[in-house]
Amino acid sequence: MLEIIASPISFFILLSLFFVGAIGSLFFYKNNNQANAWSSFFVISGSLVGLVFSIVNILTKNSLLFGLKTSFFSFFTISFHIDLLSSFFVFVISLLALFCSIYGIGYVRHYYKKYNIGVLGFFYNLFIGSLILVVTSSNGILFLIFWEIMSISSYFLVVYDNHDDDNVKAGLLYLVMTYIGTSFIILAFLLLYKYIGSFDFLVIKDNIALIPASIKNIVFVSAFIGFGLKAGIIPLHIWLPVAHPAAPSHVSALMSGIMIKSGIYMMIRLFLDILQPVPFWWGLMVLVVGSISALLGVLYALTEHDIKRLLAYHSIENIGIILLGLGSALTFYSLNLPALALLGLIAALFHTLNHAIFKALLFLSAGSVINEVHTRNMEEYGGLIKYMPQTALFFLIGSVAISALPPFNGFFSEWLTYQALFQGIAQMSFVTQWIFILATGSLVFTGGLALACFVKAFGVTFLARPRSKKVTCAKESALSMRLGMGGLALLTLLFGVFSGYIISIINTVSQSLGIFKNSSSAINISSSQSMSVSNGFSSISGPLIFVLFVVTIFLVVFIFKKIINRKQKECTTNTWDCGTNFTPRAEITATGFSRSIILIFKGLLKPTIQHNIEYYDDQNRYLPKSRTVTLNIGNVYHTYLYQPLHIVINKLSVKAKTIQNGNIDLYISYILVALMLALLVIL
Amino acid sequence: MNLLTLQFLSEIILLSVIFLLIMKKNFSAVSFYSLQSLVVVIILLNSFFETKELLMLLVIFIMFIVKVIIAPLFFIRLIKKYALSFSASTYLSTPITLIIITILVFIAHSQRLLPLTSIVANHQILLSLALSSMFLSLFLIVNRKGALSQIIGILSFENSIVVFAVFANLEQSASLQLGIIFDIFIWIMIASIFISMLYKHFGTLNVSSMKKLKD
Repeated sequence: MLEIIASPISFFILLSLFFVGAIGSLFFYKNNNQANAWSSFFVISGSLVGLVFSIVNILTKNSLLFGLKTSFFSFFTISFHIDLLSSFFVFVISLLALFCSIYGIGYVRHYYKKYNIGVLGFFYNLFIGSLILVVTSSNGILFLIFWEIMSISSYFLVVYDNHDDDNVKAGLLYLVMTYIGTSFIILAFLLLYKYIGSFDFLVIKDNIALIPASIKNIVFVSAFIGFGLKAGIIPLHIWLPVAHPAAPSHVSALMSGIMIKSGIYMMIRLFLDILQPVPFWWGLMVLVVGSISALLGVLYALTEHDIKRLLAYHSIENIGIILLGLGSALTFYSLNLPALALLGLIAALFHTLNHAIFKALLFLSAGSVINEVHTRNMEEYGGLIKYMPQTALFFLIGSVAISALPPFNGFFSEWLTYQALFQGIAQMSFVTQWIFILATGSLVFTGGLALACFVKAFGVTFLARPRSKKVTCAKESALSMRLGMGGLALLTLLFGVFSGYIISIINTVSQSLGIFKNSSSAINISSSQSMSVSNGFSSISGPLIFVLFVVTIFLVVFIFKKIINRKQKECTTNTWDCGTNFTPRAEITATGFSRSIILIFKGLLKPTIQHNIEYYDDQNRYLPKSRTVTLNIGNVYHTYLYQPLHIVINKLSVKAKTIQNGNIDLYISYILVALMLALLVIL
Repeated sequence: MNLLTLQFLSEIILLSVIFLLIMKKNFSAVSFYSLQSLVVVIILLNSFFETKELLMLLVIFIMFIVKVIIAPLFFIRLIKKYALSFSASTYLSTPITLIIITILVFIAHSQRLLPLTSIVANHQILLSLALSSMFLSLFLIVNRKGALSQIIGILSFENSIVVFAVFANLEQSASLQLGIIFDIFIWIMIASIFISMLYKHFGTLNVSSMKKLKD
């Protein structure tokens, strides 16, 4: 039975489920309910098959290599290689797709009569299917085809709500940036093909010695830009905070949770598997970019009052944290420290899994709130815990996990990342040591700021009084939505408490990579699920922390209820309001909360302040009618990078246009000259 | 067919392109194109006698119908319809045109392009002649302002490529050639429509008038 489950047949069954789901949704495009039911049924079935397929493959340490034997072109073969790393990513994709799709059954109902659900179902199924194909294809050209399908289907999902012009603009920016990234990826693959003569990943891996070091460096930079752009590293992130919020919330969850991880998957595949051995500076570069992305990502998140943009910026932050693990792994391995490299890779993979879960949970919770309040502006929320208590609980669990607080999963993967960085500080030479120290500092700041950010997000959204009338009309989400969120919330806790077990599985996945075949891990996991790093350098236990967490909560409640408040009577009365009407205007706003922190980092964030006063009489400026203060932050990437780049490209384009003078004869003369030159140069 | 005869046929093709370059009357241009296509058909017929592939005979027959009969008839109908007895002017004067013809033929025969023209060692002179025809056909498109001359230039370029492929033993399968001929047939029809539209819109076949279309 297990053999059948872990065979290519199961893989094709799961793909065909997504395919049937996609095509069938289009057939039901006239009936929203049927389209929703069809799409959801097949995507949930596909995800379940994907989960079983990947789990069995990982647990049985099964690696699959299959494809079509015949091919029209020598460089293009339809081949798939599903090793443990691919299976791990198939698992993450299937897990998230399952819960997001359960959530989606209820969520997409608010699109009924406004948009075509059949089209949504088509692109949604296509998107998830292509994600699975991206992480399993074993040929560069095949990979690029699936990469394009993934990008295009996600583009159509981003612009699905096309009545809003901002969403259409967001989609366009996403598309442009995607193609810039893809062009760098193509460059990397073409360079590999030039020296090895194949696009097959396994052939490239076997013949990597044929590539000169300088070319390998160019491949690294191109691939890092190309895949980094998809992952959302700073400064290539500009599409992410606009595109992710534009999509329907369950799609945002998938984009933020797994699509950006496809970039991480390819970085691991290329840098740690195919291009080995790699030079020392690659790891350091990944570390530096990771540190910057983590710190700046969380700082920008802090400045946001659009709840989905805030979460999107946190994706950049978490990609930074994942890169810290990956960068450590690369650095350690290039210095022949495989056990520590394994530690770094496990940290990266574990955080990839954890971030996918808690970020999806947060996006889904945010989607539920937006569904009820009909705005993404947090300043118009407030007091939602009263109207949506379960959603509030789920958002709180996600917030605690993303802030890396125990006993939830985020804490354990960040703890592992810290361990990898500490090992770097302990073992490296002076300059490298300082890079590790700064990376650790960045992670410390990131953790603190993330906590502040989610205190703001949760407090402003769910606590205090409603800031708008819309909040008072809010109701708890539909059952399927709560099921989706509840499942992820439970996983957030379970993956934290049983982190030892999860890490031991990820350890197996990591050790399956060729470079770690004979390496022992720096992590020891005891039978009681406690982990220790580098022979007792530090240790932690998920179950113990969970017990402490429960006992602490119990004790606090007990002490307050039975000891401190023992003799006090509970009475409900109005809050003292200094004689004024107590309105939501007295509450601290999201902008006000974060302003003090923004001012600390004003050198980086470039905050701006703009005062507008409207007078009753413009001629007589003594009686102001209203005063508005607009607080903002400067877009440094736009000002210092993209704007100058735009100007340069524009100037070059104008110059290039001189050769386009509208004369056909001249155009053909270009062809003649080019042909002659090509012949003279080549022959 | 011996090498000398093939060389003679290639020289007819080259000469036809040279005439197309210096010719002023459209009727003459169409006639020379028809002659050139007929020579290509003869060369292909020689190829058929070597391979004895029956489908090839069908290709040659269709090529004869399309290139030697239908295409010239199309062009003559257009010339009569729009009274285009004389071709639009050229960019370069006749003496300079002749100098460039000499240079292009020289380049095609030069040692530099020997790796290309010696793909088949004993066909070197034939391949050089075919390459010269290709260059001159492209030059014909560049130098002429009239749309009709340009279309004939493109067709002449295609003829030169066919001849080059035959002499270089790079012939494709007969079914593929059938597809190419069908492609050319459709292209001729589209080009005729293009000429009609150009004339209706601008009142001339001078393509430089289309500069106005530039944004």
